[in-house]
Amino acid sequence: MKHIVYVAVLAAILAGCADKPTKDAVIEDRGLRTQSAASGAGGVDTQGVGTPAIDSRVISGGGASATENRAAGTSPIAGTDTKQSSVLETRPLAEASTEVKPLTDAQAASGASAGADGAAADASGQGTISLNLKDPKSPLAKRVIHFDYDSAAIRDEYRELLEAHSQYLIQNTRAKAILQGHADERGSREYNIALGQRRAESVANALNLLGVPELQVEAVSMGEEKPLVEGQDEAAWQQNRRAEIYYPGE
Amino acid sequence: MNMRIRFALLFGLFLIALPAKALMTIEIIGGATNKIPVAILPFTLSQDTLLNPGDVITNDLGRSGYFRMLDPRGAVSPTDPQGLPLKEWKDKGADAVVMGQIVGAANGRVEVRFWLYDVVRQIQLAGLSYTTTPAGVRAVSHKISDLVHEKLLGEPGPYSGRIAYILKRGSRYDLQVADADSQNAVTVAASTEPIISPAWSPDGSKLAYVSFEDKKPVVYVQNLMDGKRTAVAKFRGSISEPAWSPDGKQLAVTLSRDETSQIYLLDLDTLAVKRFTRGGALDTEPVFSPDGRWLYFTSNRGGSPQIYRASLQTGEASRVTFDGGYNVSPALSPDGKTMAFVHRRDGRFLIAAMDLENRQTQVLTDTVYDESPSFAPNGRLILYATLVNGRGVLATVSVDGRVRQRLSQSGDLREPSWGR
Repeated sequence: MKHIVYVAVLAAILAGCADKPTKDAVIEDRGLRTQSAASGAGGVDTQGVGTPAIDSRVISGGGASATENRAAGTSPIAGTDTKQSSVLETRPLAEASTEVKPLTDAQAASGASAGADGAAADASGQGTISLNLKDPKSPLAKRVIHFDYDSAAIRDEYRELLEAHSQYLIQNTRAKAILQGHADERGSREYNIALGQRRAESVANALNLLGVPELQVEAVSMGEEKPLVEGQDEAAWQQNRRAEIYYPGE
Repeated sequence: MNMRIRFALLFGLFLIALPAKALMTIEIIGGATNKIPVAILPFTLSQDTLLNPGDVITNDLGRSGYFRMLDPRGAVSPTDPQGLPLKEWKDKGADAVVMGQIVGAANGRVEVRFWLYDVVRQIQLAGLSYTTTPAGVRAVSHKISDLVHEKLLGEPGPYSGRIAYILKRGSRYDLQVADADSQNAVTVAASTEPIISPAWSPDGSKLAYVSFEDKKPVVYVQNLMDGKRTAVAKFRGSISEPAWSPDGKQLAVTLSRDETSQIYLLDLDTLAVKRFTRGGALDTEPVFSPDGRWLYFTSNRGGSPQIYRASLQTGEASRVTFDGGYNVSPALSPDGKTMAFVHRRDGRFLIAAMDLENRQTQVLTDTVYDESPSFAPNGRLILYATLVNGRGVLATVSVDGRVRQRLSQSGDLREPSWGR
């Protein structure tokens, strides 16, 4: 129940941002002109760092007669010649050129404006069940599926949610759903990507079994990077083990 | 498997909070039982504006846990090594003394000279001169620290490498590169979406990493010299966990292209991918052995996540970890003899090291949320991320578990990787 409220609140917040064009780039590229195509179209600023050029040679000492390694088994350092091509350049740090917008993750795409596909679904009419992505009363408004610990099995309670989304996708052959899998924060970030991926795939497979063509769904993972709830207890972890459905360009 | 938690009590005694600074705060926990007393004399400088290598070397050696730094008490390096009073330093309790100078060189460059003396035996252990730019003095100072460490301890020092890590502040993620002492930090990529898994190319010129800017994990390779980067592959699903082959020509990556997360080898020239693991289990976190013969990785094919290794020739895999229900994130030492990994015990995630010859394992840490181990280029230290009071910090532990450091900053530090 808690997460449904959360989704609704998020949707409401995002509705306010709906007029802004959704760009891939979240960060702007000001003041980075010297960096020839450093960041391309993505939302990331990049910049170069080099290693200073260093020449070295052995020099003799004065005070003592012999040169010797104190520790056994070390070999003499033969001219630590670490010539490297570039000299470190100081460039303005990316900080100056970054604009941070409070765009959130999965629901970001799903909040506000419905596309043509959504309207089509609405027109097709499904008795009393609304298949309009915009309609908060539609079962399509439910986008989150939670999982048990270390599990990617879909619990029975999500049958209605999955059936609604499968019907929508079957009726709107141009619609595409992205399934984002998430893990709780415990353990390796890297392994948690695989766990989240498994959960997303589990939802994708369920939709495929309900008749949705494979090319209409893509399963991806956000690992542990996008928790719904902050916190280091079972209540938070439970909320964060999930998969979310969103429709790009919605 | 003979696992032990050691030194837990010893380290508890040293947890002293240092004042918060904007810069990285470094805390040393534990240390060698017999520290070598060393005096580092301030270098004489041709220009006052130059960084004094004596300060950098003092910090490097002092933080290592292997040396006891003697206060030079106003003494500075003589202009001629002949004038160094070796006997006097011996009487003050030093085993070794470092002195040096910076003199001007052609084209605005500078020459950094240093000498290392064993004052007990009254002999010179090293004398070197480096020519560099004024901005290169810091890098030279770390090289001198490495050499002093090697001459006095018989193994290379860890001071001149670079570390990459993620700094998260609010909703902003910075991929930063810094000197091994965490100074000189530079943001090389920044995003409002997560960045994870930085991995250094073997020559230290590039970083591969995972960015979520496309609302899914995608692997990028970025050239550190010019900041240019490319997405290495465009596929449906997630693309994550980059690991470099020792020759720098291939990346091992995890793709969910064909079925669930599986490991693929990607040729960096042609960008062609070849599937490496098969089967319905999760296979991820690949890492090459330094000799290029094995790929170590995490898999849950046996029911729980464990580390396996597979021959790069035949693809045949065998299990490496058996103790406990969660062993992940393998990292290999540069000599290929030791594997660091994350081991779960009693709900805590700890850094452990396995001797790959006899398969003996030792748990090295006593914290709760340890992640992302990686070896220093000298193979003697392991860098990892952990949580202290809910905040992400970086930490190092020596492979024998005796010496630990923590690096913290305002914001969360995570996903460290140590490069050349």
